[in-house]
Formats: sequence, C-alpha cells, structure tokens
Amino acid sequence: MNASKEDRALASQAISLRGAPQACLKVEQTSYAYAATDRSAPEFTLGPVSFEAKEHELVAILGPNASGKSTLLKLLAGLEKPLAGRIEVDGAEISTLDLRTRAKRIALVQQESELLFPVRVWEYVLQGRYPHGRRLRFESDGDFLTVGNALSQVGAEALRDRWMEHISGGEKQRVILARALAQQPSLLLLDEPTQHLDIGGKVELLRRLRRLADEGRHTVLIVTHELDLAAEFSDRIVLLHKGKCLRVGKPAEVYESDLLEEVFEAPLQVEIRSGERPRVILRGNG
Amino acid sequence: MRPLTSRRVLGICLLLLAVLFVAVVISLRMGAYPISVRDIVMTLFNGALGRRERIPSEFWLVVFGLRLPRIALGILVGAALSTAGAGFQALLRNPLADPYVLGVSSGAALGAILSLIALPFTPGAIQAAAFAGAAATIAAVYFLGRRGGQLDSATLLLAGIVAATFLSAVIIFLMTSLSGRDLRGMAFWLMGDLSSSPAVNLRWLYLVLIIALGSIYTTSADLNLILTGEQEARHLGVNVNRVKLVVYVAASVLTGLAVSVSGAIGYVGLLVPHVMRMLFGTDYRLLIPTSAIGGAIIIVVADLLARTIVAPTELPVGAMTAIAGAPVFIYLMRRRVR
Amino acid sequence: MFCLPRGRFFIAAIMCGLYCGLLLSAASTMGASIFPRQAAANQEASRVVTDEAGRRVIVPAQVRRIVTLSPDLTETVYALGLQGRLAGDTNECDTPAAAKSKPHVGEPQNPSLEAIVALRPDLILASTSINRPETVDALARLGIAVYTSNPHTVRGMLDSINRMAELMGVEEQGKTLVSKLQARLDALDARLANLPLVHVLFVVWENPLFTIGQNTFIADALRFAGAESVILSDHNWPQISFEEVVRLQPDYILFTNNHTGTGSKQGSFAEGQTRLAQLRARPDWRSLQAVELGHVVVVSDEMARPSPGMIGAIEELARELHPEAFSAHSENERIPNKLSAAAIQAEPRCILCAR
Repeated sequence: MNASKEDRALASQAISLRGAPQACLKVEQTSYAYAATDRSAPEFTLGPVSFEAKEHELVAILGPNASGKSTLLKLLAGLEKPLAGRIEVDGAEISTLDLRTRAKRIALVQQESELLFPVRVWEYVLQGRYPHGRRLRFESDGDFLTVGNALSQVGAEALRDRWMEHISGGEKQRVILARALAQQPSLLLLDEPTQHLDIGGKVELLRRLRRLADEGRHTVLIVTHELDLAAEFSDRIVLLHKGKCLRVGKPAEVYESDLLEEVFEAPLQVEIRSGERPRVILRGNG
Repeated sequence: MRPLTSRRVLGICLLLLAVLFVAVVISLRMGAYPISVRDIVMTLFNGALGRRERIPSEFWLVVFGLRLPRIALGILVGAALSTAGAGFQALLRNPLADPYVLGVSSGAALGAILSLIALPFTPGAIQAAAFAGAAATIAAVYFLGRRGGQLDSATLLLAGIVAATFLSAVIIFLMTSLSGRDLRGMAFWLMGDLSSSPAVNLRWLYLVLIIALGSIYTTSADLNLILTGEQEARHLGVNVNRVKLVVYVAASVLTGLAVSVSGAIGYVGLLVPHVMRMLFGTDYRLLIPTSAIGGAIIIVVADLLARTIVAPTELPVGAMTAIAGAPVFIYLMRRRVR
Repeated sequence: MFCLPRGRFFIAAIMCGLYCGLLLSAASTMGASIFPRQAAANQEASRVVTDEAGRRVIVPAQVRRIVTLSPDLTETVYALGLQGRLAGDTNECDTPAAAKSKPHVGEPQNPSLEAIVALRPDLILASTSINRPETVDALARLGIAVYTSNPHTVRGMLDSINRMAELMGVEEQGKTLVSKLQARLDALDARLANLPLVHVLFVVWENPLFTIGQNTFIADALRFAGAESVILSDHNWPQISFEEVVRLQPDYILFTNNHTGTGSKQGSFAEGQTRLAQLRARPDWRSLQAVELGHVVVVSDEMARPSPGMIGAIEELARELHPEAFSAHSENERIPNKLSAAAIQAEPRCILCAR
C-alpha cells in the first residue's frame, strides 16, 4: 500500500526540476443548491467550499455517498454554475470561458464510452485535440505526436491501431484517460475512477495518476470514497459530509479517528506514524 | 496510420467526381433517341459557346431538353438524400436512420395529395405544396422533439415517428376518398420519379443544396465527437445544442428539397453513407462529401437503368434503388453482426 | 490510403475543365425555353387552338406524324382512317390488333419522352382519363403540340372526335364517322325510349368493392344502354360495402373483363358463365337476386373507354339488358361492331369484345 520510497524520490526530483508550482485551481466559497423544479425549495445544497490546488498535486474529494462529491465535480467541470463563489482555473473564472477554451484547460475523464461506429484507438485519442484547433481544421503532425505521447503516458502505445470495440475494459479506461491527456489540460478530473477495478487495478491506476501529476503540468483531482487510496496517494484532501466541506488539508491533517467515524458511519481507526501517511483500519466489532 | 488531411479529402472527392463524370457521360449517351458520343460532345460544346444554330434541333432537344436536366436533377436528389441520411444518422445516434424517419417525406406527400385535390391541373403546384408540407413537418417535429428546450435525440426520433405515422394515416384516408385519376399521379410520386422537371429553375435548387451541404459540412468535426458521446463532446468544447440544430435544419431542408421534386426515393439516404463508411472510414469530414457524390452517382446510374432496361417503359427510380438496395442492406447487416 | 501525388494534379485539372465545360453548357440552357418546334411551326402555317383541358396548343397545318398516348385515341385514329400517319402509340394500345405492331413509346402513364421525340411527331394526342398532366406539361415544354381530349360524356366524346378530325385535316371523315355513331345512338334511344331503366351494379373492383360514380363516363354510357347504377355518388370511384348492395338488390351485375388477354370469340360467352359460377359459389353473392336469376354480364373494356368502339359495347349491353326491345326485329339484322380501317364492317358477334 505504501508507495515505494523510490517512486517518491523520483517524484520530488521531478518537481524540483520545474521550479515553484503554480496554483492551477482555486475554489472560493463556492456553493450550489439543487432544486427539483424552479418553484420548490432547494433540495440539496453544497458548500460553501474553498480550497486551492497547485500543479503536480493530486487532490482527492473525499466523502461517503450523497455527500456532494459529484455535484462539486460538476461545478468544477463547468457543467453547472455555482450559486455563489468562484472557481478559477489558471487564473480565469471558468464560467466566463467559452466552451473550447474551457476544454483546453479542464478535462473530465468519463467512465464509459458509447461508440456508435467503429473507430480506432488513435482516432479516438486524437479527438482530444479538438479544443486546440480551429473550426474545420484537420489535425497536424504535432497533434499526432501529442496523441503518441498521451498513449505512452498511460502505457497504451501498443493499442494505437486497434479498434476501440476490441480492447478490454481496463485498456479502454486507459485510452479514455489518454484522450483527456491529449487535451493538455491544466486540470484533470476523474469521477470515482476506481469503481470497477479490483485492488490491484486500483493501485495501478492511482500510481499512474500520481505519476501523471508529478511529471505533467496538471493538477489531478479525483472524486472518491476510498479512504486508504486517498490517504496514500493524494497531496490534499477535501472532506465532504452531507454537502458541507468539513476539512481541507494534507491527509495527515484531515484524518482523525472520531471525525472519520462520524462522517463514514463505520468503526474506523486512524494510525499515523510520524513522517508517513496515515493508515485507516477497520476496528473489530464491539 | 495517418490522420485525415485536407489533401486526402480532396483526393478522394476527385476520384469520386471522376466516377460521377463517367456515369454522366454514359447516361447522356443512352436513351431511346440514337445519338453518338461525338454528337453529344459537339452539342455540349456548341451549347457552352452559345452557338445553338449549329446543332440540329433534335439533338438540342434530346441533350438539353431531356437528358441533361434529368441527370442534373438526379445529381441534386442523390446528393441531397445521402447527405441528409448521414446527418440524421449522427443526429439521432442511430445507424438505421434515413432521411424519412422524421416524417419529412410524409409531410411532403400530404402536401402533394392536398394539391392534387385542390389544384389538379396546375403545373408546379404539386412540388410547391410538397415543399410546404415538408417545411411544416420540420417545424412541428422540431417543437415536439425538444426536451428542456434543446433537441434531444431520443425525443426527436419519437416525435418523428409519431409524425410520420400520423401523416401516413391521413394520407391513406385522403387517398381512399380521391377519384381514380388522382391516385395515379400519387403512385408515381410515392415511388420516386425523376421524369417531371422541377417547377423552379434548377439553379435555385442547386443553390439551396450547396448552402445546406456547406452548413452540414461545417459541423462535421463536431459530429465526429458527438458520435462518441454527447457529454464527452461537450467536455471537449463542442456546442452540442447548436450543432444539433444546424444538422437538423440542414438535413431536413435537403430531404424536403429532394422529396418535393422527385417523390420519395428510398434506400439511398440509408445505404450510401454506410457504403462510404465501409470504403473510406467514419470521419464525417470525409463522409459528408463522399456521401453527397456517392449518392449522386447512385441516382444517376439507377435512373439510367430505370429508363433503359425495359425501354420504352420507364420504371420509377425508387423501384431500382429498392431492388438494388435490399440486398446491399442485408449484406451490410450481416457484416455488422459478424 | 488514397493521397494525391503531384503527377495527378494534371488529371484533376483536366477533370475540372471537363466539369466546367459541362456546367457551362448546361447553365447556358437552364431556364431558356426549348421551342425548336415552335420555330419550325412559324415557317409553315399553323393554328392556335384550345384543347379540351384548356391549354393553348399550336398545331401545324399539316399533321403528318401522330403519336397517341391512350388506347381510346388510337382507336379513334384508326376509325378516322389515319393509321398511315400514326407514328407510334403506347404498350396498351391493342384495338384494333394492327395497333400492337406500331412503335411503342411506353405506358400511357409514364411514356418515354425520348421515344416520343425520336418519332418526330407533329401532333400528340393525350387523354385526361389516362395520361398525367406532368407528361403533357413536359411534352409541351419541349415545344411539341399536345392536344388533350377530356370527354366526360358520350356526346362529349363524339364532339371530341369531330374536333380532333378537324385538327388532323380529315373533317369530312370525322363528320361521317360521328354521324354514323350518332345514328346508332339515336336508334338505340328510340328502341329504349319507353322502357324503364334497369338498375345495375357496375363492379370496378371486387375486393374491396368499388363501383362508379354518377359523373363518370361509364355512368353516361350506361344510360344510353338503358341502365343506371344503383349507387348515386359524387365521387368517381366510390368504395361501398356489400350490405349496401344487398339492400339495393340491383337487377343486373356488370363486370369488366379487365383485359385478361383471353378475350376471344370462343371464350366470350364462357367468361360470363364462369363469372356467374364463381359468384354462385360464394355465400354472400349467392344471396343476391341478380345472381340467382343469372343476371350477371361481363362487358368488354370498350365500355370504359371513350372511343368509337364503345358504341358497339353500349348496343351489346342494351341487347342483354332489354331483350324485349330487340326481339321484334329479325334475327338476321347485323349489328355493327368494331370499326376498322376506312370502313365500317359488320360482323356477327357476341356480348363480349371479339378481337
């Protein structure tokens, strides 16, 4: 479960070579209310939420079901407009951006892909370059290179010429991730990416995301309820509970036994050894 | 593998245009009236230079009065129907969509029947009324097909099917109360028939065709993305609602145009895009132009066969496309299953 | 896959040139009217007439080549003795038999315009009863004279024959033909003057059951034969339910033989018998009075066709429906039938068309 010491050493080396990281994402006092119809009372509220994330950081939005994680993600992706507050990516408020510019900065990685007609993997990933082109532009060789890079970043170069419908589920997930990377975004959003994976798959995915955060110029933000993975891999955690933002900070700062027990309604115990990441243990019955 | 470039698009289009040209030349050559290729070329040449006196009046009549207008109409109809079919397949996210699935042709047919009842012997009335019927149906289905103020593929499809079946029922009701003579004209119209010249000058029809084709083409890159998922497309920066509206209007106008001048010719709008996909790939930046030219080729050839196979009897074009289309359709379906 | 190396730009350029040439020559003629015929017509003498569909037609003074687009008009042409000038007719023109060997231009509803043009006609005869207005329009736009006849009644048909005869320069033959036909009609009228009309059901199509309306040509012809349809409808081809027929109990039921192609001298009476037997075998039809009495008649297709041969069909039907009006005359009286070239020949015949 522990990321190996070598991985972390490499990561911090990579970071130090780049100079001081910039703040990519700034969320200020953002709140949202969801109402069933225009006239009924707001059913669900989120916020206010405030946090910041810099590039090379992996942020985890953590919380149990129905805590507002997905809503926050929709706000970050620009799918909904917040009721109050600001969301800024690279210094610009995202609601002021037009669709293409927003797509250049924010990439949302979907779970599934419903394809109608057969398409090859490279064609699929190439679509990620759409926001960077003019209206009726044909892709350039540079775009094609970016596709190659994105595929190798997710370890899927071998799949390049395969048909999308012929690759496995895990491979498809990597390809979808590659398309998001091809957008060259500042902010990479993933919604419960470990949902259908077994433990080995989960770790592999998080390791890859960690590497992407370290090596690339983006902020990676995942929405998850996996306590242990979030503790192990993320730089910052935003803890949500019933629409309220309870804590923001490093895993060691956020994880506390009583707090987690209350939020997740399960007998949890947090163990922190100094200098290491917190571990969450399920206490026995009783 | 290389990505699609504008050179490749142009190259393939030129290739198809060459095939179309050959089809046009053969079609100009064949017919009941004997006229050699040389005479045809001379007629065309002198016609281009405006030297009408040099051509025997019969040649002029056959080439410019009969064959060329018919071929030009066939190209128009073929291009319009195929492009509309490709557009609807993307808009409705359904490979089985054809230009008539949203009821446009039923609306046009109703307009045609009404004009036969009201103004039986007025030349051009049937076409104008057909186009009016198509336009009304386009508007009605648009308003029915919205959800939350925006076009929704599933709702649109339902609205179109409802419109088509309702209009068909009205048509059947009207047809049973018409006299025998009027039914006759309708039969040809329903089958698809290129022998009646359009009431409006062909150049205006071509203008509409070019505008509609151009509009759809500007959304072709967007359509590629939409086909991998609407939400994904939105996240990639596509203005999905605007694209859907443009495609809906343009494809419906193309269908209305084709149907009002030539009746409902079947299978072309459904099959040509699929064949072009099989040959050249699914990228809409290539599919739109190849469908247009491919459709033109198919109609020109089908019309040629329709008027020469059992000469002097002229079969309706729709019969030829149906006869050839059904086996092609079956073949395509089996390929997909495999 | 396909790419465009430099060498092929040459081909592309040539093709562009070819297409431009095609477009140019096409564009130069689009919208221009094509009236070579009219130009030619101005050289000879020609007349402007209004045909029976209300169209203005410019007919050359000398009509040397005629194309007919309807079987009834073909018959008329033969009856006027003009078959020598008949350049072509349709697939369906089979009366008289000689018409079948003339060059064909296709079906009446969708003839090949090119085939018509290839025959170089001076005048085309069309009929609103079977030809489409689109066909007539297209031919008119090509500058060829098209005369459309539009007979609604039997007397209208006779007028039409007169006008067409005049158009084609055979006024005298036309008048002779018409007066002979008129005479037969008058004779028939005299015989049937005091007799009540027989109520008939004229079956156009059996299943679903279609019959004729009041304003049709056939209804008018029936009146001359001393019959009347039991169904009074303003629609031309009303569809009726069988109960209506049972309620009205027509005296006679008339069928057409629908060009089964088996019409022959021997089989003519047999067809009526066959039809009767068929009806008797069916429980619903059997209950009708007319079927019980054997009053089922199969009339020739001439009945539905506004042509000279129709007079013969009317006479035959009158004979069948009102035998009492004819029995007083001698058995040897010949009944004129189909008109053939140049003369009215008499032939012994039965009810049905003998070809």
